[in-house]
Amino acid sequence: MNAITAEKMVLALIGGVTFLIVALLFSILGVMLAKGLPAMHSGFLFDASRDFGRSGGIFYQLTGTLMLMAVAVLWSLPVALGSVLFQTEYLGAGKFKNLLTQLTYILNATPTILFGLVGYIFFGVYLDAGVSWVTGSLILAVMILPTLQVSIREAVEALPEKYREAGMALGLSRPTQIWRIILPQSFYGMVTGVLLGLARAAGETAAIMFTATTFSGIQFPQLFSDPVPTLQTHILVLAQEAANPESIAQAWGAGLVLLGLVFLLTLAAWAFRTRMVMESEL
Amino acid sequence: MKADFSGLGIRHVEPVGWVFAVMNFIFLLCAVGLGLFLVVESVPVLRSEGWGFWLGENWWVGETFGALPMICGSLIVTGLAIFLVLPVALSGALFTSEYLSSSIRRRVKGVMELLAGVPGIIYGLLGVSFLTAGVKDVLNLLDGNTLFTAGFLLAIMILPMVLTLSEDALHSVPSEFREASESLGLTKLQTALRVVLPQSLPGIVGAVLLGVGRAMGETIAVMLVIGSLDRVPGFNFFVSGQTIPSKLGREAAEALGSGLHWSALMGLGLTLFVMVAVLTFSGNLFIKRSSQ
Repeated sequence: MNAITAEKMVLALIGGVTFLIVALLFSILGVMLAKGLPAMHSGFLFDASRDFGRSGGIFYQLTGTLMLMAVAVLWSLPVALGSVLFQTEYLGAGKFKNLLTQLTYILNATPTILFGLVGYIFFGVYLDAGVSWVTGSLILAVMILPTLQVSIREAVEALPEKYREAGMALGLSRPTQIWRIILPQSFYGMVTGVLLGLARAAGETAAIMFTATTFSGIQFPQLFSDPVPTLQTHILVLAQEAANPESIAQAWGAGLVLLGLVFLLTLAAWAFRTRMVMESEL
Repeated sequence: MKADFSGLGIRHVEPVGWVFAVMNFIFLLCAVGLGLFLVVESVPVLRSEGWGFWLGENWWVGETFGALPMICGSLIVTGLAIFLVLPVALSGALFTSEYLSSSIRRRVKGVMELLAGVPGIIYGLLGVSFLTAGVKDVLNLLDGNTLFTAGFLLAIMILPMVLTLSEDALHSVPSEFREASESLGLTKLQTALRVVLPQSLPGIVGAVLLGVGRAMGETIAVMLVIGSLDRVPGFNFFVSGQTIPSKLGREAAEALGSGLHWSALMGLGLTLFVMVAVLTFSGNLFIKRSSQ
């Protein structure tokens, strides 16, 4: 066997592996569709679940997930935006700035269940919010903070220097510069960050399963102190009843909806990111 | 309103700037508070168990708390995941970076990014439905919920992340290196293996470390397929076990908020946090060095 055939074989091998990896995504998608679609009867999205999740729909679980992630972004966006603007516009390069960047990375990599543990102690016990949707949304807000920060920072730092220089030449004060130049120009980055943050919050189970959610008993929270049913907890509970085919079928249906939600948000985020790149190349 | 922050490198701050400063302070508080709370809350268990908390083999609620089974479980499961993912991810990264045209490359990267966003609970559901049964049948075991199952599932979960990041490292090697090597008569594969790969090694190490960190912290998917049995597993990976996050996920709801049991869980959380923080920090260091 000469060197050229050996090279071709290695090439075929790693090419085949790459193909299989890409096929993996499609097989996951295929399995989710094949298993999830049969559960989708006409009212699946709009009916309440019945009989401990074994029949009926997932309406309140879906609204619970949407509510938690939306409220989390409401908490998180001002903090992310403010801290990024402070770091990019007011802080000069230095040790403090590096420390903050490192903290963003570490927060981003922190196992999500730790946000649940610490968040429960802080928001649930010290701030007395208990096991409730408020606690859950606050925990998710901290969890998605780095996601938002990274996207916003990328957008702000991608701004061409000449924009700032033009602003300075016009004698704009720094707040005016931020309001008139930086915020409008980094708008798409902000939207990307928000969408990615929503996707991350939608997919999270560990941080909220014992701090904010309930499997049954509550449909839509009436009080600040009420827990909320979510798709994630719904799937988690049903998946552990693997012996019961009705439960598993409902879990696949809910899983397909959750995966669809996450993919839609991610794809939308990409669409906005492409806009952002195009704008910055003008 | 003038403040002297010159030591911190802060420029002159107007009133609006203070709002941003407050937001930044909240962020700082979140990040520092996380670590601080883990330390403070785990003091009771560390006081009652001492070093025995990390060395003890028994976790009997109400009597003694030893974290060794969970620590071993976490190390084994992540080790398995890395062992399984490394050859696959590297082949994929090498092929994507060196052999694919830029438009297909971008599509592969897109697929990877999408795959990286699949929620843990979905992997858990897939694992419970297919992987545990598969492992049980193929290996002829009594129970498919094993350390190996968890490691395998984690390998699939971190594959897209490790692949994309290592691919970034490979792709960032300047094309002059490739041209120089090919003009010396090396084939494309030799160039990839002997020139590009060594050049991008720090970035690849960084990618792997970040992947390890991610695998170590995964809760839901592992919790559903590992069997949740506290024991020091030895070298047989085909038995049920427990990782730190899966233990936390199983018991956090029971211990909620008070008592030594809760403190012990926070101690586990602190251990996990330190391990992941070290991995992440060094991973980012490697990646930063490779991109310079």
